Amino acid sequence: MALRIPVGTTDRVSPLAGRRTATGRVAVRVLLSLAIAGLAAAVPPSGAFGHDIPSDITVRAFIKPEGQRLRMLVRVPLEAMLDVTFPLTGPGYLDLSRADESLRDAAMLWLGQEVSIYEDGTRLAVPELVAIRASLPSDRSFDAYDTALASTRGPPLPAGTQLFWQQVMLDVLFEYRITSDRSEFSILPGLERLGLRVSTVLRFLPVSGDERLYQYTGNPGLVVLDPRWHQAAFRFVQLGFTHILDGMDHLLFLLCLIIPFQRLRVLVILVTAFTVAHSVTLVAATLGLTPAALWFVPLVETVIAASIVYMALENIVSPGLRRRWMAVFGFGLVHGFGFAYALRDMLPFGGDHLAVSLLAFNVGVEIGQLLVILVCVPILRLLFRYLPGEQPGQSGRGGQSEQAGQSGQAGQIGQAGRTGWTGQPRRIGAVILSVLAGHTAWHWLLERGTILWEFDVLATTPDGALYGVAGLLVLMLVIAAFAGWAFLRSDQADRTLQ
Amino acid sequence: MIRRSFIPMATAALTAAGIAFLAVACADMEVAEQTADADAVMAPMFEVDPLWPKPLPNHWILGSAIGVTVDANDNIWIIHRGNGNPSTELGAAQDPPVAECCIPAPPVLQFSPEGDLLNHWGGPGEGYDWPGSNHGITVDPMGNLWIGGNGGDDAHILVFAQDGTFLKQFGEPGARRADGFDEADPAWSGNSMDPGNFGRVAKISFDASTNEAYVADGYLNKRVAVLDIETGALKRYWGAYGNEPDDANIGRYDPEAPPAQQFRNPVHAADPSNDGHVYVCDRPNNRIQVFRTDGTFVMEKVLSGNTLGAGSTWDVAFSKDADQKYLYVADGQNMKVYVLLRETMEVLTTFGDGGRQPGQFFGTHSIATDSKGNIYTTETYEGKRVQKFTYMGEGPVEQQDQGVIWPSASR
Repeated sequence: MALRIPVGTTDRVSPLAGRRTATGRVAVRVLLSLAIAGLAAAVPPSGAFGHDIPSDITVRAFIKPEGQRLRMLVRVPLEAMLDVTFPLTGPGYLDLSRADESLRDAAMLWLGQEVSIYEDGTRLAVPELVAIRASLPSDRSFDAYDTALASTRGPPLPAGTQLFWQQVMLDVLFEYRITSDRSEFSILPGLERLGLRVSTVLRFLPVSGDERLYQYTGNPGLVVLDPRWHQAAFRFVQLGFTHILDGMDHLLFLLCLIIPFQRLRVLVILVTAFTVAHSVTLVAATLGLTPAALWFVPLVETVIAASIVYMALENIVSPGLRRRWMAVFGFGLVHGFGFAYALRDMLPFGGDHLAVSLLAFNVGVEIGQLLVILVCVPILRLLFRYLPGEQPGQSGRGGQSEQAGQSGQAGQIGQAGRTGWTGQPRRIGAVILSVLAGHTAWHWLLERGTILWEFDVLATTPDGALYGVAGLLVLMLVIAAFAGWAFLRSDQADRTLQ
Repeated sequence: MIRRSFIPMATAALTAAGIAFLAVACADMEVAEQTADADAVMAPMFEVDPLWPKPLPNHWILGSAIGVTVDANDNIWIIHRGNGNPSTELGAAQDPPVAECCIPAPPVLQFSPEGDLLNHWGGPGEGYDWPGSNHGITVDPMGNLWIGGNGGDDAHILVFAQDGTFLKQFGEPGARRADGFDEADPAWSGNSMDPGNFGRVAKISFDASTNEAYVADGYLNKRVAVLDIETGALKRYWGAYGNEPDDANIGRYDPEAPPAQQFRNPVHAADPSNDGHVYVCDRPNNRIQVFRTDGTFVMEKVLSGNTLGAGSTWDVAFSKDADQKYLYVADGQNMKVYVLLRETMEVLTTFGDGGRQPGQFFGTHSIATDSKGNIYTTETYEGKRVQKFTYMGEGPVEQQDQGVIWPSASR
């Protein structure tokens, strides 16, 4: 067989290059880098490439406490190990006969030094590097702990294997000394700087035997591997809080809610109705009661955009508390599906405490929403005060209504509460803000609707989940109508009592 | 007072009741569905993803797409012939440019699972002979990419690293030139006994357990050739039914004639399964021939046996379960994909139809699967695209020929 290989590329020496900004353990890394560079210089004629930070990498890891030791198995693409010189041969094959020391240095530099594991809140000492192995990208041993362990501790690839260095998988086995395999363990992965986007698949194998799968991108912060209920609750409150503050569409929906109704008491009730509604669908989605059809996610996103447009239009035309209450409830159901997609990959972080986690997530969302209200309402009031028009209390129905609406007494929302408009300046301000919000959401609606339009929704073959969602929505509408009717009845009763 | 206490309580109570009701109702429906489906033929189900991949940048346009493969990270690689597009499609590539668009995209493109373009390279370069007409791209166990070619002089295989670094070339272009070759009237002849060169390679597949490459050789030769992955050394080869290959022209395929004892050109794919079999696409003969890895013939399966012209069996891919239970066969002549139960080679269902809308095909040329069970196809001729078919799990076969699997089914 005629074989042609690249000319003049054998045993290249390329300058050490690391483009990553040094942060964190700078001194350690610099010293290690210098040591590695010195080592590389002392081993002619080896070489390595300076290379870019990889854009997208996946790290696979297992953590298993056993007796007095905790094993951590990690597989990471070698191309993510910057600042290390690997011996190469040919057009860029890793020289396996001379690679062991550089692989060990890379493993300690990027993994052993970076990953922090805690036992009962105390950080464990730097681990011992027990075994290391360069593997093929097609190797499937990291599909399970036992095969990963056997492979990493097994024989290395034959020295003559021609494996292009950027396609090498580095498998590493670390061992930490621990007091007990029944302690509470936490991990601060610290691997997010291996690439521009680092996805991690982490499996924890507690002594109880129930494997936990954690999948995250970037830095998840401190992960309690087998959390107690209050730890799960705290984490999910944080998640809910940050999620609502990160979600532009949810925030815009809230803003539209706030604009005409700037009395805290009314808003708290409205937002709570929203929370109850999205809690229902969030739980339903978590239990798997969502259609698997590809169009469902675009549908949810489109309706979320539509909900903002509707709110903005209602603000402009005639905001009424009765309609608002029901609309908020109805749209809350749809927003709940949106929350569910955000929460889906995070549920393992709650350990055994699924119900607590869901509840805590909702609490976090509620806290975030209330915070938005507390911040926005005074700002809006201040802004509207300086708009031209009739001020509250000057004359007319609007002023009277404003006074009634702000009296803060139970049962005195009355006319102002149901119309929303309580003064000319507020109306002008509300219209301006609503137009801006509605305009933004209108573009979202068109973009998302275009995507949705690609799917032939009407041709869907219904399944149990679809029936479930449809039934849930119908049921919620009935509840909303019932509650609205009850609300009106009670409101009339209040006024009768007055 | 009544209002504030009554509404939340009523809502909470009713929603809790609603969830309980729906959970029970769904569980009942699931049980009912399972009972009803007990006797149905089950097969993997797919829906086309009309939004995959995302648009190419730089006014790039694809040409005939004649290879697709999926690497260990589920990235999708394709190879195509953008330079072969007519000038009407390449307005911006004319000298001088006649339009703002388009420019042929580089021959090799890498997409993320989400459909983002990650990398691109390919074309003539120093140290190797880019094929006159590149054909097929596959990733080997080391993550390297192998490329064949079915141009006039193509008698070789190229191997590149994923960043486009040239690694190896097996065989020399021009090796199949006929005696007394004349540039003005070129002619080539097959030689399926040649240990060092090939005859217009269609596709190369790999057996990681033995470190071997299976070459569908090809458009001029009529053999399956097995190479050592690292050295390219020819280890064994065979023709149809395990016969010694014969390069003599056996004429056009005739559905009424006895089965041909040799492959017809092109031998378009030769993929080893993980249980020691090799599935060979004998394209114009409309058949898949199954061999053991030593070349011993096991069985054959004819698909759409009356198909003339380019034939019905273009490429194969295995389902990604451990047993590789299903075999997917691309058919670029009848514009569909067959789903076979590999154990019996029974056709369970087909999907696709001719056309240029999502889920349709024009020249279904190559097929590959990722770790999640999704299927990717590329289309040659004027199809010129890559499509993704999302795996939706197994479901009962309601239609033997499903036609276009538009994203509507909820399974």
